[in-house]
Amino acid sequence: MPKSGNFTRRIVLASLAATLAVVAAGTAGAASSKRSATTLSGAGSTFVQPLVSQWISPLASAYGYELQYSGIGSGGGIAAVTARTVDFGASDAPLTPDQFTACKGCVQIPWALSATSVIYNLDGAKNLLHMNGPTLSKIFAGQITQWDDPAIKALNKGVNLPSTKIATVHRSDNSGTTYNFTEYLSSVSGSWKSQYGKGVAVNWPNGTGSRGSAGVAATVSQTPGGIGYVDVAYALKNHLKFFSMQNSSGKFATPGLKGILAAASSDQKPEATTNELSIVNPPKKFPLAYPIATYTYVIVPTSSPKAAELRKFLFWALTKGQSYGPKLLFQPIPKSVLVVAEKTIAKVKPAG
Amino acid sequence: MSSHGISPTDLSTSNLPRRRKVNLAMEVLATLAALIAVAILGIVVWSVAKRAAGALDLDLLTKDPVPFAFGPVKQGLANAFAGSFVLVGLATLMALPVGILVAVYLTEFAPPSVRTTVSLALDILNGVPAIVIGIFVFGLFVVGRGQSGWAGAFALSCLMLPLVARATMEVLILVPNSLREASLGLGVPRWRTTLSIVLPQTIGGILTGAVLAVARVAGETAPLLFTSSIVGTQTSWNPFHALQSIPVAIFELSESPDPQDHARAWAAAFVLLLFILFTSLGARWLATRSRRRLSASR
Amino acid sequence: MSSAELTPDAPRRPFTGRRVRPGDLILQLVAGLAAVAATVLVGLITWKVVEGARPSISEYGLGFVTDVVWSPAAGHELYGAGSFLFGTAITSLIALAIAAPLAIGIALYLTELAPRFLRGPITALVETLAAVPSVVIGLWGILVLGPILRDHVEPALHSGLGFIPLFGTPSDSGSSIFTAIIVLAIMILPIVSSISRELFLGVPGELKEGAFALGTTRWEMVRGVVFPYARGGIAAAMILGLGRAIGEAIAVTQVIGGGVFIHWNLFSNGDTLASKIAASYQGATSKLQVASLVYLALILLVFSLIMNLAAQWIVRRAARKQGITPQGIV
Repeated sequence: MPKSGNFTRRIVLASLAATLAVVAAGTAGAASSKRSATTLSGAGSTFVQPLVSQWISPLASAYGYELQYSGIGSGGGIAAVTARTVDFGASDAPLTPDQFTACKGCVQIPWALSATSVIYNLDGAKNLLHMNGPTLSKIFAGQITQWDDPAIKALNKGVNLPSTKIATVHRSDNSGTTYNFTEYLSSVSGSWKSQYGKGVAVNWPNGTGSRGSAGVAATVSQTPGGIGYVDVAYALKNHLKFFSMQNSSGKFATPGLKGILAAASSDQKPEATTNELSIVNPPKKFPLAYPIATYTYVIVPTSSPKAAELRKFLFWALTKGQSYGPKLLFQPIPKSVLVVAEKTIAKVKPAG
Repeated sequence: MSSHGISPTDLSTSNLPRRRKVNLAMEVLATLAALIAVAILGIVVWSVAKRAAGALDLDLLTKDPVPFAFGPVKQGLANAFAGSFVLVGLATLMALPVGILVAVYLTEFAPPSVRTTVSLALDILNGVPAIVIGIFVFGLFVVGRGQSGWAGAFALSCLMLPLVARATMEVLILVPNSLREASLGLGVPRWRTTLSIVLPQTIGGILTGAVLAVARVAGETAPLLFTSSIVGTQTSWNPFHALQSIPVAIFELSESPDPQDHARAWAAAFVLLLFILFTSLGARWLATRSRRRLSASR
Repeated sequence: MSSAELTPDAPRRPFTGRRVRPGDLILQLVAGLAAVAATVLVGLITWKVVEGARPSISEYGLGFVTDVVWSPAAGHELYGAGSFLFGTAITSLIALAIAAPLAIGIALYLTELAPRFLRGPITALVETLAAVPSVVIGLWGILVLGPILRDHVEPALHSGLGFIPLFGTPSDSGSSIFTAIIVLAIMILPIVSSISRELFLGVPGELKEGAFALGTTRWEMVRGVVFPYARGGIAAAMILGLGRAIGEAIAVTQVIGGGVFIHWNLFSNGDTLASKIAASYQGATSKLQVASLVYLALILLVFSLIMNLAAQWIVRRAARKQGITPQGIV
């Protein structure tokens, strides 16, 4: 063989060594997969992701479970748990009867409580401008297109609003936050209800679509004049301005713990089998309520190979886990809901 | 002569000053085009480098991400680097032997009709968009079973296979027939000839193909989006679970509102770019070398 | 290189009349199995995609391809590929229109004008552009290109050329069809350029010198000799570039903004077949929605296959004529 064969031979040996190293690493990893018995994988709502992220290390210290969570949107979470590609799904939008059937024996458990903030990016404007439901629905329907529209000015007397164009931002993926937001718009605007309705995705007439709450927050923060909707934790984390929303009693409420708690008082009884709760646009007798609050649910198969771990995890999430909520503006779940939730967890049993 | 684009009027000397001006204009445009191409590359690489500078430190490779951290926390993308290593490594392990064997079959054994069909299949496979491969592998391996590093690696190997096969075929063809004849004439069996005489001549070309294929899939996001994207934050080398990868990590970070996330995305992009550049350029240099050597030996 | 032909030197059938060793059979079997596996893989991919799309095909038939609607609202589900087909067409075609002249210009520069010492480095640089992963270009598109286009380029184009419906109101967020077009143009530029370069290199010297002997300028020589000679190959290169643009999902979904409408305004958002799949597939819940997304993938598959095969066929024909094997054709 020619002398340069030595060179190629060395390269061949080097790459063989590298490949073997990778195979060794992979097999070693596979061998140590005893750990996989205590990995809990979940996917879904980006709304609840800030809270779930806080749970990862305390849960590991408490039980040694490795929690893996991927925010792919509520729709994705429902799809993933239905296809059993994850151990649990998370969705802010309650399952429809069809989705319950498709999921083949899943239960839905409310495990967190927070609010959707309506964020905006307007140079020079202060935080907590005033907004109400009908005006907001006209904005997202494309009927109000500028910041100095009379309707917005009327809500914010004394504030100097520029003539900047409004750029709406919505979720491009199937989102429980969209469900919450459109449920609110449907309840305050008859024309929104008939034209667009509520759902994890609707036919937005205009605006930019972004993936995930993070995507919406990113787009609004990079778009002058932008208005979008995200879980309030994202607004907090990224220092985004959000509106103070007018509720049914005429007062302007912020998506803080008090506003969320007041909203939660409007529906304290989860539905019979679905555990569904709707606390959007609470009636007049809750003057402190923030009108776009929502519960978010964890979806678990009743028969699962990881039933024991899931029960421990969910119980922990509903009790100890709630204490990580307040700094992210997740209001700990009220007692009445907690009781029902815990009863539902008992339905999760080992497979086979 | 196919120069039917030249007409007598083109050559008239009375037109010469105008013709020279047109020529000059075209030469300027062509040079400009080349400058634009170089400029674009320069801008992209410089953008990445400049923005990566701040976040490029050892933490990127050694620390795992901490999502939704309040306050400054040391974090990095260790899980993505580990995952990419395993995914690409396993994909190469799957694609390389099959690609080489396909090439051997096509050049050494296949009758012309079979050769056409299989070559066509390879060309079709090469033309399938990566996102469709992702959907395919999702339907094949992920539904009911869950995402895994194996599924992601398999998706990547589908992309690598045509590249490896084609590169191997190119060099196998260059091996002179006289070599095969000589070996067979000496009584060496067919299989031994192929494996010990013909293939070793092509190692350089095969390696080039493999390295180019690796460079190609190291940056692929779409095939991993549905097969290995629901991941935890801790570094794992276990391909039976979904593994984070650098391209998917960059993809997710690019859509985040947090400038810190962007900084890490740039840093990861920079490392990825460096890796791909070195391997691509290195492979092409190897290719020119081995091709020169092979052709010279004919 | 599409490898159906081998050089005349290459071996043909296994030798007859020679004692066949078991080792020979084993190698042939194993290698043959690999070849079968590769072919079966292609069939499997096609079958899985068709099967996955079937619920949507049986629901909508071929009308799906032209329907401009995508309504996932529960109870009123209605899906159609029309707006994404439009998005794919408008982004890919305009990207090609931008990239092709540039690519040919680069190829001409590298083959005719560049000084010897520059040819290697610049060629390498252009090929390096091809190696940049799409997610990195997308990252750059979101954070660097988008804001520049939104703040400077789009308003300028709108105020200068606003009478053309293509240049309507500038986008608000920097994510738009226009950004996607620029990103795609950058991605297909190296492909078209390197194939064109190979083709131009393959033009026989005598033809070029013949033209010069007649007194043509360099440009006239290119126009009269190089272009006609390489015409088929350039067409193939452009088709390949188009195929690449059509199939690009990641970079496009990062910068295109997402929308289901048909607007002529390039500065609005939209979606292409590939970018819609990337954005929505993971979160699709209803069976019909998943099937419709796979239907989109089927349409995408059909188009990119047609493009890829057409281009390969043209290139193979041209290569046979010229007796070269064009490399670097991805």
